[in-house]
Amino acid sequence: MLDKIGGRVSDRALKWIFLIPTFLFLLFIVIFPLIWSLGLSFCDYNAARGGSPRFVGFNNYRHILSSREVWERFAITGRYVALAVLGEFVIGFTLALLLNREFYGKGLITTLFLLPMMFSPVVIGTFFRLMLDANWGIVDYLLNRLLGLPKIAWTSSPKFALYSLVICDVWIWTPFMLLMSLAGLSTVPRYLYEAAEIDRASWWFKFRYITLPYIAPLLILALLFRSMDALRFFDKVYVLTGGGPGEMTQTVPYYIYKVAFSYWRTGESCALAYILVIMIIGLSSIYIHYLNRLSAR
Amino acid sequence: MKAKGFKLVSAGLLMLVALTLFGYAKEDVTLTIMWADWEPAHLLLKLAKDFTKETEIKMRGNFVPWPQYHDKMFTEFASHRTSFDLCLPDSQWIGEAVEGGHLLDLTDWIKERVDLNNYPDMVMRSYGEYPDGSGRYYGVPGLLDFVLFAYRKDLFDDPKEKAAFKEKYGYELGVPETWEQIRDIAEFFTRPDKNLYGIALWQAPLATAGLVDEFLGLFWSKGGRLWSGREKKVVGYLNDEAGYEAAKLWAELYKYHPKGAANYSVSEALTAMQQGLVAMIATYAAFYPALLDPEKSLYHDKIGFFTSPAGTDPSGKKHHYVQLGGQGMSISAYTPYKEECKKFLEWWLREETQWKFAEAGQITPDKRVVENDRFLKLAPINKVVRESLPLLRDFWEIPEYNEMAEYMSRKLNQACLGQITPKEAMDDIAKKHEEILRARGYY
Repeated sequence: MLDKIGGRVSDRALKWIFLIPTFLFLLFIVIFPLIWSLGLSFCDYNAARGGSPRFVGFNNYRHILSSREVWERFAITGRYVALAVLGEFVIGFTLALLLNREFYGKGLITTLFLLPMMFSPVVIGTFFRLMLDANWGIVDYLLNRLLGLPKIAWTSSPKFALYSLVICDVWIWTPFMLLMSLAGLSTVPRYLYEAAEIDRASWWFKFRYITLPYIAPLLILALLFRSMDALRFFDKVYVLTGGGPGEMTQTVPYYIYKVAFSYWRTGESCALAYILVIMIIGLSSIYIHYLNRLSAR
Repeated sequence: MKAKGFKLVSAGLLMLVALTLFGYAKEDVTLTIMWADWEPAHLLLKLAKDFTKETEIKMRGNFVPWPQYHDKMFTEFASHRTSFDLCLPDSQWIGEAVEGGHLLDLTDWIKERVDLNNYPDMVMRSYGEYPDGSGRYYGVPGLLDFVLFAYRKDLFDDPKEKAAFKEKYGYELGVPETWEQIRDIAEFFTRPDKNLYGIALWQAPLATAGLVDEFLGLFWSKGGRLWSGREKKVVGYLNDEAGYEAAKLWAELYKYHPKGAANYSVSEALTAMQQGLVAMIATYAAFYPALLDPEKSLYHDKIGFFTSPAGTDPSGKKHHYVQLGGQGMSISAYTPYKEECKKFLEWWLREETQWKFAEAGQITPDKRVVENDRFLKLAPINKVVRESLPLLRDFWEIPEYNEMAEYMSRKLNQACLGQITPKEAMDDIAKKHEEILRARGYY
């Protein structure tokens, strides 16, 4: 049967037969909403009320870029991304260095380290909310009973709320950094270390001139993925802090959700989403620029 | 023979047509009702079996957890096609739903079929009428809800505590009648060394089931005003002396909360009471069964309830208001079963159905039930229900309520945490509310 069809249809036609449905599907679920929302970002539109969008030019963008509230949320998001990605990188890379040797049970331990990444962030957020509760959470209980530290209102104090999100994110995504770092470390040829050993090179020399150049492109890629993901994170804020206390943990994606689905300022939320996308693209370009430079070496 | 055959075929065809028509007339109608996933919803579905028996219209539920309830309902509305036929939007959502054209206009049907004398004005206004005072109705009373207080009877009735309280404050420890007494009692029972705190109020910066729901009872009882009325001017009204006083007292009360209470909403406050962490909480009345459930509450047999207290404005005039919650019952504008839905509303509003609802421990705003003394014996909060019914007041029902309520919550939350003063919070809120209303063309 297949031979029969193959006999009648050219390879070129067959290629299109397979490509067109996928292309149409992508057009429908990705490209169309993208173009539609871009159009809405220039309109005054409330999806809950319906009706026709009213074209307002760059008003939404002007309003957003001149709003102190929005810039405060960008600052919160920036702080969060920097702290979370840095934490994940440092811990993940350190663990990878420790795991990058042969020992009994290495496979099991590596798998256990990867577990947090496999759970749903919403479930983890809910658990963290309970664990970090100042009155019946295990974290404060241990800090208070074992170390005699005062209780900390992790998720609801202006000082610590952002850190509670960072801790939760670091717990979930450190395994990703660990995995990428381990993959990078496994590509470094052993003979280079052996040669360095013969020359009595120090640990730092080996790390700086052998390990790092080999794994840097993969690390930059890992940082790029994590930064992009952290910039658009929403679920943990929704579950863990609800954006509070006050406005202390209202990140840009959470604010976009509020503007879009609580205040129904659909046009404005689309404009804000595009500003975030442009920022993510800008940040990615910096990473990619460094990645290309490293690859060129 | 031919004629006989023709007759047989004709009879067969006629039978087929009749069966088709009969089958069509007997088409199974199933109405879907959307509500929050909680006990009153499950009870409604159970009671609706009587409706099915009577009308052969089947009922099913589409119950959504509270945190996602608003967004689920309105994203369906936004698509102009709903998976439900009937819904129970929270009272403040009515403007948002009506302005979008998502609810069926029930004005004529209500005037013809519903005796409005059975419900307090505020109940009809909040659950059915939009805009306020327009005489246009889009819903009927569904579940009555309002803010009440729960307290630890074992602490309040303890003779040693009573004596110590009298010595410190100069009056008897008992159920508080004013917000100032609430403050005194909360202060008295705040003993962090014993892991006991005075009070847990909702402080979360949420538009629904957050800080605003509980703050406004205090705000109105201190003589506060949200705006000027028809003109909707906010600056100088919301942030007048009464508003400042209310915000100041609210921020003061925060000192007597358990650590980390700045994001407390329904479940956190209930848990605080169930675990014996606090002496008093305020909550929506519909959640009271969780406090008396021996499976969930360590103090299930030691909890009492009282009406949200009164207050005095800066001129010394007394006010007493209770924040209304609850939901009206409306019909989706997109249902193909509009007449069947009206039949359901008619069944729901019957005195007999309302009695069954009340007998199962739920709260009805139907005066025929609430004013009957038998009602008082049906649930431990029913005395409070009767006291609160004439004191009810609700906040903004315009579509912008969400942004306005959330901003108010966030600013007062900051005032409680000492990031800004209560006066700064009220000034900011008034300014922002006018900004929101101006942007939406109210003036």
